[in-house]
Amino acid sequence: MHKADRITAAVLLAFSLAFAAGGLKYYPYWGEGGPGSGFLPAWLGGVMAALAALMLLRRPRGADAEVDWVAHGEGARRVLALLAASVVYVAALKLVGMIIASALYLAFVMRYFERHAWWVIAVVALLAAAANWLVFVHWLKVPFPAPLGI
Amino acid sequence: MDFVANLAMGFGVAFTPFNLFMALVGVLVGMLIGALPGVGPPSGVALLLPLTFGMDPTSGIIMLAALYAGTMYGGTITSVLINTPGESASVVTCLDGYQMALQGRAGPALGIAAFGSFIAGTVGVVLLMLVSPALAKWALSFGPPETFALMLLGLTTVTLLAGDDPLKGYISMVFGLLLAMVGYDIISGDARYGFGIPEMMDGVDFLPVAIGLFGLGEVLADAEQVGKPPVAKGRYGLRDVMPSANDWMRSRWAIVRGTVLGFAVGVLPGAGPTVASFLSYTVEKKVSAHPEQFGKGAIEGVAAPESANNAAATAAMVPMLTLGIPGSATTAIMLGGLMMWGLRPGPMLFEKNPQFVWGLIASQYIANVMLLILSTAFIPLFVRALRVPYGILMPLIVIFCVTGAYSLKNSVWDVGQMLVFGVLGYFMKKLGYSPAALVLALVLGPLAERALRQSLIISDAGLGIFFTRPISAVLMTLALLAIAVPVYKGLRTAIRGRSPS
Repeated sequence: MHKADRITAAVLLAFSLAFAAGGLKYYPYWGEGGPGSGFLPAWLGGVMAALAALMLLRRPRGADAEVDWVAHGEGARRVLALLAASVVYVAALKLVGMIIASALYLAFVMRYFERHAWWVIAVVALLAAAANWLVFVHWLKVPFPAPLGI
Repeated sequence: MDFVANLAMGFGVAFTPFNLFMALVGVLVGMLIGALPGVGPPSGVALLLPLTFGMDPTSGIIMLAALYAGTMYGGTITSVLINTPGESASVVTCLDGYQMALQGRAGPALGIAAFGSFIAGTVGVVLLMLVSPALAKWALSFGPPETFALMLLGLTTVTLLAGDDPLKGYISMVFGLLLAMVGYDIISGDARYGFGIPEMMDGVDFLPVAIGLFGLGEVLADAEQVGKPPVAKGRYGLRDVMPSANDWMRSRWAIVRGTVLGFAVGVLPGAGPTVASFLSYTVEKKVSAHPEQFGKGAIEGVAAPESANNAAATAAMVPMLTLGIPGSATTAIMLGGLMMWGLRPGPMLFEKNPQFVWGLIASQYIANVMLLILSTAFIPLFVRALRVPYGILMPLIVIFCVTGAYSLKNSVWDVGQMLVFGVLGYFMKKLGYSPAALVLALVLGPLAERALRQSLIISDAGLGIFFTRPISAVLMTLALLAIAVPVYKGLRTAIRGRSPS
């Protein structure tokens, strides 16, 4: 965990310095009689830089050394699969529409993670699609992306 | 007394069929969400918030407040039956609740928790009703310096209590404030850090962030677990969950102490139901005549924390409604909802929107009765919900995250943002950062910035204005203490070269 903390701290340090510098460069630090729009970004960037530096420099905490935070084997495979499926799902929203993309996503996860029978998957996906349509499209009148008609 | 008239008006609002229905939906969904490991109260409120956009704000808050109360009880079911807390305020319930279940006494454990929750929740609403108007009246005299000091105190205490590593808590909080800087500046109109992208210039909305961190992030973290814990067997009919006379005798003072302590802790900014439940368990063990039974199935060990967390969840509404300062991630999301509905949180809320405030208070009484009925008579239903396979539950929650994030502004950009914060939430959880502090900072950021800049404009002594006005001086000192204590501890361990384990 300590290594991950140091990498995070280094990234945060660079980010916050850029944030503060950008704030000072593009927005006024002091305006008419009071602080301008660059005042707080500059200070917050500075505070974050200090916090990140503190984390970069501090000794490893005893308790942290033993924590194994990276997922391994089966667990890692499951997280990555779910994440990849979710990314494809969101990317497909505009292509196939909200209702259909949601149903396909549900079907994929059910099949991949727990090998449900196809008829169970079909029933659950159809029910979910119907509920989704009823609540959001029919009742709340949310204009979902629906290039294929629904 | 206008207070009786106000309450009568509140019941008039709460007893409309639609609002009764909303309270019921809130309690039911809250119990389900509380019972499902992984999704806790903040996720529940964030996921249901989009459904309230088309509603009257009063109906919206009635549903969300009922949901908050419901999650407090729902979390108990999993703590007792599978030794897995459904949300963090029920962690301590596992200690004795699961032991009771192993001894075949799961029924009374769930029963005493239900009655304790009901008593604590109802007393909590009475106290809320008595304390809030007075507090709101007092807070009317607050100027920008007091407001800023109060927000700083809220931010620092939440951060301090969020986890076991204060440095990571503060990093999470400041990161939330940095995100709050993005978008149009309310005073000058500058589009900060917009990079010419219209969606960025509008700022980072808290809702996709909250849904990502608490919804998708939790689901990703849960996906890693392989296999499901077994559900403790037992009978959960109405007769089985009724505590015996002996159970009542042992628990009555535990419930009273839990209620009082829970409310007192819940009112403080930062210390929500989780802290209240741990504290009341510790107190109960201290005052008990037989402390050796704790952890081995003592019914007081269930009654006290379960009462405390419900009292605290109600009390957490006090600072949110009267001062506009949320004390926890859940109330922060509710506060964001208030602003989306076009209400201005703060002391004026009681004067300007009495229907909203008193309707909420009255509906809380009703929600507590509903909660008692559902949590004694319908436990088998929720036990069945625990058996829904993860492979169905996970994608359903993600679909809800996606539709919720989308329906805020009908924008796929927001869905993408939710996805990014979902991944961030996963890593924050794994590495010990605090999503709650981030969300609170994102909600309070713009309000705090405005108060700070207004204070500095009216001040002729720079930052001195925060220390020359008495109320603000006290609040600022407390906030600075919340920063100084972990710094001092950190330095001390750094000098000694060893960290306490």
